[in-house]
Amino acid sequence: MPAVLVTHADEPLGRRIVKTLFHDERIERVFALGAGAAPRSFDRFLAGSPPRVAYARIDLAKHRPMADFFHSARFREAEIDTVVHVPSHGPSGALASRQHHAGPLVSGVPSRTAEARLVLQHSLDARSVSSLIVIGSAFVYRLAPGNANRLSEASELDLDPNVPAEIRSWIDCDMVFHAEVGNHRARVVLLRVPTVVASGGFVYLNPALSGPSGLRLRPLGFDPMCAVVAEQDVAQAVLAAVHGGTSGVYNVAGTEHLPLSVLGRWTRRPTVPVPSSVLRAASFAARILREPQLRASVEGAHLRYGFSLDTRRAERDLGFRPGYRVGLGRAGDGRVQLEASPV
Amino acid sequence: MTPTEPLLLDGVREEVVEPIRGPLTALGSDPFETADETEEPFLERLEKLRATNVPRSGLLRGAPSPSVPRPRTRPRRLEPDPTPRERVWATTPRLAEVEFAEQSGFLDRLVPESERRRLAALGHLVDGEAPYDRFGFSPGALRAAFPFFLALYRFYFRVKSEGHENIPAEGPAILAANHGGLLPFDGAMGIIDVLLHTDPPRLARAIVDRWAGRLPWVNVFYARMGQVVGTRENFSDLLEDGQLVFVFPEGMEGIRKLVTQRYRLQRFHVGFIEQALRVGAPIIPMAILGSDDQAPVLFDLKPLARRLGLPVAPITPTFPWFGPLGLLPYPVRYRIVYGEPLRFYERFGPEGAEDARLVRYLANQVRRSVQLLVDRHR
Repeated sequence: MPAVLVTHADEPLGRRIVKTLFHDERIERVFALGAGAAPRSFDRFLAGSPPRVAYARIDLAKHRPMADFFHSARFREAEIDTVVHVPSHGPSGALASRQHHAGPLVSGVPSRTAEARLVLQHSLDARSVSSLIVIGSAFVYRLAPGNANRLSEASELDLDPNVPAEIRSWIDCDMVFHAEVGNHRARVVLLRVPTVVASGGFVYLNPALSGPSGLRLRPLGFDPMCAVVAEQDVAQAVLAAVHGGTSGVYNVAGTEHLPLSVLGRWTRRPTVPVPSSVLRAASFAARILREPQLRASVEGAHLRYGFSLDTRRAERDLGFRPGYRVGLGRAGDGRVQLEASPV
Repeated sequence: MTPTEPLLLDGVREEVVEPIRGPLTALGSDPFETADETEEPFLERLEKLRATNVPRSGLLRGAPSPSVPRPRTRPRRLEPDPTPRERVWATTPRLAEVEFAEQSGFLDRLVPESERRRLAALGHLVDGEAPYDRFGFSPGALRAAFPFFLALYRFYFRVKSEGHENIPAEGPAILAANHGGLLPFDGAMGIIDVLLHTDPPRLARAIVDRWAGRLPWVNVFYARMGQVVGTRENFSDLLEDGQLVFVFPEGMEGIRKLVTQRYRLQRFHVGFIEQALRVGAPIIPMAILGSDDQAPVLFDLKPLARRLGLPVAPITPTFPWFGPLGLLPYPVRYRIVYGEPLRFYERFGPEGAEDARLVRYLANQVRRSVQLLVDRHR
């Protein structure tokens, strides 16, 4: 039975993945890593004797702590054979201002890319690890005019040097792992996911809507369609990849598509259409202030052109099918917000 | 008859499109243009040509023949899908089965009940909880815009149409029409006409130029109304979903043509033929009369258009003299005629899409069919 290491388990998507793995009886144990303290929702997972879930606090972007962890007795005893890397996707709400993913750490390399390199290096070095599963972003693709270009795994990546640094880091992260897909030492599975939606109106991995709730800007006269996927479906895709024997790149997406304006409104991030000159000024300010997330939210083709994902390969090789639908629900306070409900 | 350059003599890229003069030469280098107008279907004649291996000279240069070496340009080949997508045809219920809410708003009162019933049926095209399909089509937005376009259809353009029985009630199909007028009201009237005369009601998904995807507001409006930017994947997705696709194979050349060339069809693009063969969709020739009269182009200032990045910089009797208002169409009477479906896929199958000469030839045949409809009903 596999023992799984999950990175960034303190962030929303990581929490969901740990929870899904915990409830799967075919998983022997889960080792969760996070930059912060263990989430309170893990309390009941950590309570067993012996607990099926262990948690360690570690900065994934720094070489020394990573090397210490992967060479520790705790890691060896856990007999980890699968590593699930969930790149930092920026917590929403009050945690958003945390320093964790803000600036470059390693001589100009964004923390997300540095983490990817370190996780890859140590996973391949570790003798017990035979599978590496990574969640990537579907915003790495080059977007062109067309209201729903269907993008397959073979579609072109956006290698334009003017891509905002936030998206660029996703592309770098993607390429770091993509280069190891044919590795004979371990099987590498890269899951590219679009905008991830969680019940309660939370949204992750969309550069235009990342960060805390509040107003967003979008170009006047454009309202691109956004492919969405429920976070439960992402966790199910990870589970399918853990148990599957294949390696490769897979698109993972749900069945629904929403305009950016509607998605923003339903997730408490209403978008305000502004002229391009205002967006350019905001982008310039973001560069001056070194705010990569702000820059990605006001600049880039994803603000103009939508896309949808071809998920046939994931259906065929992983057996993945979206089990959740994204729609409107009414919260306890009467507010209408985005919800994911089982099909 | 004015001699024209042979089509496809040295490959697709080297075709020369001659200016169209006179009524018959508008059809280009149709291999049968001097043949008698017999009742024999042209596909049977094509088969005879292939069987007899006619030397490629004179007027038969355009006909595809197995004895002729393949063109230098490589035919575009799509990767075969390893896993066929599980498709459920996007269908709408028949009018008698439609359930819809009572009229509630101001816009609802403007639209008769039978038309509101048709609009309600289109809601079934959107699957899932979200009120949008993947292309951005929104039945709600269409319902809001419908009264305006219905008024244009009934009172401004006074559209008359015939041949609706040729539109399949279900399954994939392609409407191929002539294009004219500066603003695409021919497309809008075509969509409304199809919607009003089919049961179950069908929404014609118009394929629009990629250029439109860059235009602020226009791209959003088109998407919400169910129109789709013309990429290969979008086109095949619509057909595989069993939808009715509406194309103007002339493309921008159609709206760019001068008043002296009105109702003379320009060279057709061939993508829709490839898709029709691959998916097995019939092509319904469609003539839209009136569109070429709604804004006659006297001159096209091509250098200015290139400089401004526009597809056309027209001079019309009213534009630019009256500003943007000069682009509005004249209240001409529209007439829409649907021809009999052309089922090329039955004869040539999906592999026919790989033969560039055949595809070009079939595109010319569709052009000829549309031109005949236009000429007969003008």
